[in-house]
Amino acid sequence: MPAELIRILIGLVAVALSVGLIGLVMVWVERKVAGHVQRRPGPYEVGPYGLLQPLADALKLVGKQLFMPDNADPILFWLAPVLSFLPVLLLFLPLPLGDELFALDINLGLLLILAFSGLAVLSLLLGGWASNNKYGLLGAARAVAQSVAYEIPLLLSVLAVCFVAGSLNLATVVKEQGTWPWNWNIMTQPLAFLIYIVSALGETNRAPFDLPEAESELTAGFHTEYSGMGFGLFFLAEYANMVVVCSVATVLFLGGWHGPVLPGPVWFVLKVSLLMLLLVFFRWTYPRVRFDQLLNINWKWLMPLAVANLMLTAFFVKLAQYTVVK
Amino acid sequence: MTLYADTQQVAGDFYTNNFAKTAREGSLILNLGPQHPSTHGVLRVIVEMDGEYILRAEPVLGYLHRMHEKMAEVKTAAQFIPNMGRVDYGHALGWNWAFVGAVEKMAGIEVPERAEYVRVITSELNRIASHLLWWGAYLLDLGAFTPIMYAFDDREKILDILQMPTGSRLTYSYFRIGGVAQDLSEDCIKSIRDFIPWMRSRLPMYKDLVSDNIILRKRIEGIGVIEPAQCRAYGATGPVCRGSGIGYDVRRATPYSVFPKLDFEVPTSDLKDARGRYDVRMIEIEQSMRIIEQCLEQMPEGDVLVKGAPKPSWKVPKGEAYFAVEGARGKIGVYVVSDGGKNIYRTKLRAPGFCNLSLFAEVSQGTILADAVAILGSLDLIIPEIDR
Amino acid sequence: MDALFQGLALDYLARCDEAKTGKAWQVFLPASTLVKAAERLLAADYHIEDILAVDCAEGFVVTYHFDHFDKPGRVAIRVLAPHEAPVVPSIAGLFGGAEWHERETRDFHGVVFEGNPNFIPLLIDPDMADCFPLRKDPKSRVKTRDLLEAGEVVYCNPTFTLMAPDAPAEGHVSGGAKTATA
Repeated sequence: MPAELIRILIGLVAVALSVGLIGLVMVWVERKVAGHVQRRPGPYEVGPYGLLQPLADALKLVGKQLFMPDNADPILFWLAPVLSFLPVLLLFLPLPLGDELFALDINLGLLLILAFSGLAVLSLLLGGWASNNKYGLLGAARAVAQSVAYEIPLLLSVLAVCFVAGSLNLATVVKEQGTWPWNWNIMTQPLAFLIYIVSALGETNRAPFDLPEAESELTAGFHTEYSGMGFGLFFLAEYANMVVVCSVATVLFLGGWHGPVLPGPVWFVLKVSLLMLLLVFFRWTYPRVRFDQLLNINWKWLMPLAVANLMLTAFFVKLAQYTVVK
Repeated sequence: MTLYADTQQVAGDFYTNNFAKTAREGSLILNLGPQHPSTHGVLRVIVEMDGEYILRAEPVLGYLHRMHEKMAEVKTAAQFIPNMGRVDYGHALGWNWAFVGAVEKMAGIEVPERAEYVRVITSELNRIASHLLWWGAYLLDLGAFTPIMYAFDDREKILDILQMPTGSRLTYSYFRIGGVAQDLSEDCIKSIRDFIPWMRSRLPMYKDLVSDNIILRKRIEGIGVIEPAQCRAYGATGPVCRGSGIGYDVRRATPYSVFPKLDFEVPTSDLKDARGRYDVRMIEIEQSMRIIEQCLEQMPEGDVLVKGAPKPSWKVPKGEAYFAVEGARGKIGVYVVSDGGKNIYRTKLRAPGFCNLSLFAEVSQGTILADAVAILGSLDLIIPEIDR
Repeated sequence: MDALFQGLALDYLARCDEAKTGKAWQVFLPASTLVKAAERLLAADYHIEDILAVDCAEGFVVTYHFDHFDKPGRVAIRVLAPHEAPVVPSIAGLFGGAEWHERETRDFHGVVFEGNPNFIPLLIDPDMADCFPLRKDPKSRVKTRDLLEAGEVVYCNPTFTLMAPDAPAEGHVSGGAKTATA
């Protein structure tokens, strides 16, 4: 199917370009928001309002010397940042930006995203292990435990939405929702939305769940030994993951590209940006949760709630089916 | 690409080897510091870990040891006062006071009343600044990046106020044997009077946003329980012993200066954990402001340096004296022995942080690494005073 | 204080001028009595302030300062350690905080505390741990009696001559027996 292939290729190119752009924009947003939350201006010298600051940062990172600790495994060491970055490109393909505006029409779109986002933790593990550094190892161990734990409520909350929509195809899920907020899935699945956001914070290692890179305890955890572009790739991958997670939340809960007056893609971008801003706020407001408390939250609270939510949803969906049949 | 040797792996130094002699099979030996974002100063702690749990911890000191006690033996008494600012930059005026107080006790020098009030006011302002620094840095350790910015905003005001009489922002050498170097100007007093309501308006915000935050509470409640018996065995004083329920404050127990005339509370907490010590310090900020207000009202006119105050080359008369003040971290003690010669025969600097940190090995056993960081922060350590 | 140390072998016990010297009591002990005295102080809820040494002509006067949280009144316990073999028993088993103070005194003066659980250099680098910076030149050492305040003597062992030689050796013995039981 050449048409399909062309679509995918165009999609990949667009994603590759936009991921770079997203990285730059997010760096600026993060630093500006951090500044204003902390009663200071943030970057304002490089370019108007500091808009060129991310470029300066990128140039700095690219220009740094790349070195590797002695006794570190060279293949794994350099594979880790690349591995953290590559799957991200795939994750964007099934996301519908507008009516019929997606790169990959696959009826298992959600499954694809969830499966490939699991690769992210592999890169953290490799990075921490290959650094031959005790701090890195501790950070990697924490990252794995955390990611594995938070996958489950993530999946369960998302499944509840798919039960309601009847499909794992993201385009279908969006079509089922209406133009106005009261028609969006967040109205029918508010608990799933909350569970999803918390699990997403856990999956992407964002504060208050950023233990794997806990600066004040582990001196940067799994990426302690990385400099220059190695660090830059980890950084970029984290932002890209954040965007994926927010996009999935938008598609599943906030009506995707639906919205009055303005064209679909604009609404999509606005909603994703709003969620990203929320995540950035969380980082600069809350202290870090301790590791065992983090796992407690997951196993004792999120998972039972997600399971309960799923069962309830399944019950109501079946009930609806029978009443319709009748 | 450059390869550099990771020396940790190849061979430890003297302290790591000594520590490893008694290590268990399969445990991980990790060095926290001396370069580490959350050891306040140059502190190194060797920990033996089983997964995330600390089996044993041993602080290694000496990275900031400058041998102040030897300097006291080769300098004259007046020349040694600037050293006291460098011993503890957090509460430099407390150390200033301890030293000049010990010398004045020995020589029988009586300080004018106005000077006493000036000493109290500046020392309490210094205490507030020290607690703000502690608070901001502690929350930074726990992962909250914002409170330190707010705390430093308030601290800037205090540093500007204290710069007026002392000339320094951090390492003060303002006290003299017989009083203080300079009186508080009208501007200075006005700034202090403006500062107090400002600080009072900030404390409720800190309480709502930070102290009552559920994540913070979960991080510090139940962590680092210190029993009163441990405080006695290790000589822990200040917010560490008051957070464990012992209401010992040098200003009340062995009153000095004009503290008997001042009305203030000594906060204690029965919680015994990091939360207790946290609460004690936050209340102390308010009490310090109360003290300053009373001093501003009661302060008489007069000199701030006694007539015939010793010149820089003055020799300390024969005798010995031990003088203790209540510093931000605990009881600061200076013990001076003199034979009437050119220099003081022996000076001993008793640092509160030294005794507080010696508790850490016992308190941190069995805790998680993240909790060890929380405990270290709650002890409010300033390493230069521990190493001297 | 004399009640607290009843039955122990003391060398010298004096009440001091608290306003002038900052301490209420001053006690000289032989090294053998030190641990027992520390036990009594621990049982009476005293806390350890610091341990230091003063290099005098007769030896190192190792001084222990104790104070009380509820009934303030500093006590200075002093033990003389001769220059050639400065060995003193360690009280780290009773007062955990003493371990570090003793290590510091060893760094500065070279006094050896027997029984200290971790007797390695604390502040000075292990490579130069034997430089003992606060030891004085033998010519500039001063006699103890010219340095330390005698205070109001309550008891002085007749063989003890470190402090002022004209101290009343019979001592105003207030109550309790003072005969030495080592």
